[in-house]
Amino acid sequence: MSMKKILAAFGLGLILAMPVQASGPAAVLDRAPVSLDAASLQAGAKLFVNYCLGCHGASALRYNHLTQIGLTEQQIKDNLMFTADKVGGQMLTAMRMEDAKRWFGAAPPDLSLIARAKASASGSGADWLYTYLRQFYRDDSRPTGWNNVLFPGVGMPHALWELQGEQQARFVTRDDGQGNQVQHFEGLEIVRPGKLTKEEYDAEVANLVSFMVWMAEPGQESRRAIGWVVLAVLGVLALLSWLLKRAYWKDVH
Amino acid sequence: MSDHKQEALAGESFCACSADPSRRALLAATAGLGAAAGIGAAVPFVASFTPSDRARAAGAPVEVDLSGLRPGEKLVVEWQGKPVWILRRTPEMLAGLKTLDDKLVDPGSSAAEQPAYVSGEARSIAGKEEFFVCVGICTHLGCSPSDKFATGADSGMGEGWKGGFLCPCHGSMFDLAGRVFKSMPAPTNLVIPPHTYLSDTRLLIGQDSKGA
Amino acid sequence: MLTAKELEDKGRQALAWVDERFPLSVLYKTHVSEYYAPKNFNFWYLFGSMALLVLVIQIVTGIFLVMHYKPDASLNAAGVPVAFASVEYIMREVPGGRFIRYMHSTGASMFFIVVYLHMFRGLLYGSYRKPRELVWLFGMAIFLCLMGEAFFGYLLPWGQMSGWGAQVIVNLFAAIPVIGPDLSVFIRGDFVVSDATLNRFFAFHVIAIPLVLLGLVTAHLIALHEVGSNNPDGVEIKERKDEQGIPLDGIPFHPYHVVKDVLGAVVLLIVFSIIVFFMPEGGGYFLEYNNFMPYDQLKTPPHIAPVWYFTPYYSMLRATTSSFLPFLWLLVALIVGLTWRGCSCVWIRRACLLVVAGAYWGFFGLTLFGFTKPPFDLAIAGIHLGLGLDAKFWGVVMMGGSVMLFALLPWLDRSPVRSIRYKGVLYKAILAVFVICFLILGYYGTQPPSPVGNVVSQICTILYLAYFGLMPWYSKLDKCKPVPERLTWK
Repeated sequence: MSMKKILAAFGLGLILAMPVQASGPAAVLDRAPVSLDAASLQAGAKLFVNYCLGCHGASALRYNHLTQIGLTEQQIKDNLMFTADKVGGQMLTAMRMEDAKRWFGAAPPDLSLIARAKASASGSGADWLYTYLRQFYRDDSRPTGWNNVLFPGVGMPHALWELQGEQQARFVTRDDGQGNQVQHFEGLEIVRPGKLTKEEYDAEVANLVSFMVWMAEPGQESRRAIGWVVLAVLGVLALLSWLLKRAYWKDVH
Repeated sequence: MSDHKQEALAGESFCACSADPSRRALLAATAGLGAAAGIGAAVPFVASFTPSDRARAAGAPVEVDLSGLRPGEKLVVEWQGKPVWILRRTPEMLAGLKTLDDKLVDPGSSAAEQPAYVSGEARSIAGKEEFFVCVGICTHLGCSPSDKFATGADSGMGEGWKGGFLCPCHGSMFDLAGRVFKSMPAPTNLVIPPHTYLSDTRLLIGQDSKGA
Repeated sequence: MLTAKELEDKGRQALAWVDERFPLSVLYKTHVSEYYAPKNFNFWYLFGSMALLVLVIQIVTGIFLVMHYKPDASLNAAGVPVAFASVEYIMREVPGGRFIRYMHSTGASMFFIVVYLHMFRGLLYGSYRKPRELVWLFGMAIFLCLMGEAFFGYLLPWGQMSGWGAQVIVNLFAAIPVIGPDLSVFIRGDFVVSDATLNRFFAFHVIAIPLVLLGLVTAHLIALHEVGSNNPDGVEIKERKDEQGIPLDGIPFHPYHVVKDVLGAVVLLIVFSIIVFFMPEGGGYFLEYNNFMPYDQLKTPPHIAPVWYFTPYYSMLRATTSSFLPFLWLLVALIVGLTWRGCSCVWIRRACLLVVAGAYWGFFGLTLFGFTKPPFDLAIAGIHLGLGLDAKFWGVVMMGGSVMLFALLPWLDRSPVRSIRYKGVLYKAILAVFVICFLILGYYGTQPPSPVGNVVSQICTILYLAYFGLMPWYSKLDKCKPVPERLTWK
């Protein structure tokens, strides 16, 4: 048997083994329409400060970092600063750790890097956040009265409920084929409307998620811009060093 | 490059410093661009030695409320990590400043670091002579001088002492306008930071007065 | 103003002054300008200098990171561990810091990519064979140091993967009989991975191992330059020299191989820059997503896997279950049986008996293939418990041993030729299977455990071991082609 045949046989075995392995209970995530333009980021920053910063810190960020999304220090001071008296201060939560532990059972996590931490094989961290923030529903069996389709048994109540309104989840009981009755999620419907329509709410969540993507790595756009320059220089250098190598080696016999 | 090898290769041009002009040009171009790229790569490393954004943010202007400061008292605030003194001088203190010219190195503060809108022997903004604002760091080697506000022989600073500051490290003496006395280690008067009055009782340190 | 001639004279005088006190010119000639390397190096021979370049990048970026990083597990005012926050401080607040950090994190993965390819080159062309055994052994020691360096360094960002990865790896030592549990506490300096662990890992990462690494790299190069480089033909160029004693197929390292290595370095930097500037997370393989969460000692992330470069060995660790031990024993028995047949030396035969008995007892105690029989039950249980030679222990031995097996290659390979170019179909097929197994093991190491994955990993583990264990026989059986006397060139 030739080496190629052996290789082919082995490769085939590998391919056959893969699909069995890859199938797991992967969450279905909606694609987040992330936009890093100033308008989205500023709208997102406002939502973040108003609805998230009450319980979650963003300690890797300082208020004056927000000048990078096109705000002036005066605008930041007037509209966004509730938890610090200096514009160079960290974006900390107003809530005390001990209170948080008592109220929610665990301290709400710092959100500085959440958009990077929530990435997985199922989608980007932004996708996870975008899906999560739109899938809260009323559940009286939970201490907060809220539950989440993506994150069942979530400790956090629905912070944006006055914008989205209240949703109810429809579950149907199904047979899983092995004689067990399982609850199967069918869909969400709004039972009490909030201040925004569904489309408006989705757009606002997209802004919020975009801001969280930005804040997970504020320099990401300049990083890519610098990258193109570096690659251009290295490209020319590669060409030159290839010509140089050829010039030296042409005499070697 | 060894001579033997050159023979072995039947006189082939074989040396790095060959006369082949196109190869020379190529070598120069590659080395030049490589060196430029190397300098570019050094940028983040050199930049990382400069003060971080957090340190710069800590250097942002500081607002001070002066309403609680009584005459003869000194307030210390932190600006850029340095102590900034705000001394509210009594009329006697101000009067004493006028008598010291011949004992001082630079009574007119011509060599001192101070904003253009600060003037006179009181070294203060016109109309605000009462308040003396300065960076409390000795111009010699960077210690922070101590208060010596008591006057006369009781001060332990000599008969004619009109109040001032003494640096504990090397003994430099300053008057109540931060002016250094003669034959002291410190070369110049104390530094006055940019500052401006937002109102009668609100002072902003770190930002220049406008229209002065 | 000096003329060019005078300047040259001055330079020559200065060099003479130095040469009388330090062998500068001699070193330069021996290692650079008159180090004759084979002409027919192909791209596989670029990975050595690339590895050196990555080492330099790691050392330089590392020095600058140490200036800002704080190895401190305590919580800051915002409730975030100081070490974790200091990494984000570098990323956001230190000018240029994010590039330095991304270079360092990318460099870690690049190091392993380059070193794995460098080692594979050795397998292809038989670079480990006589007289290059020590070059290979120094290289293996470098590889081990690199693994230690990567392991210790991975704790420093103090994220979820840092903490739990260290927890799992340190607990492997607990599998060592008798002293194990105390040893793992000793390594951590605490009962869990804590501030004490972080501080000692920091010390190992930034100074202890780098010092050893630099020494080993120097030794690797000195040994290489003593025996001379191998080449894709596996022909010893030193055997054919001209009247002046210069290898006929050799060419001076400078400028010929230098210009080649420069080209290689630029290509490497292009790949490096694409990762640093456009995909620093490397799809979750270079910077794992869970590591963007601070380490929480009370909550393990749902799926933890080591960084990609450790996953082949991690797979072998997981593959070693109690039901897998009989297969391992069969492989050991086969190797010993072949040795017995091929060698009549009394001492080797005695050693064979000892290995069989020891391995059998170690794997199964006094039972038949792990199935206990009533009269022996208690005794066996006592032996197993007393020595702790269970599947966990063998898993750890497997993980460490599978790395160390590479070090035996110079003595396992008995093929009459060095290079794959002149080896037969048998060896080519076996090497291909070995590489595929290594890749499959690496893949399954990144995945959560699954029944299919475990069986595939076990098959691959056996094949991986067989590559080394059976090499003395298949390398002799292989039908090799005649090796030319001179290099094949152009």
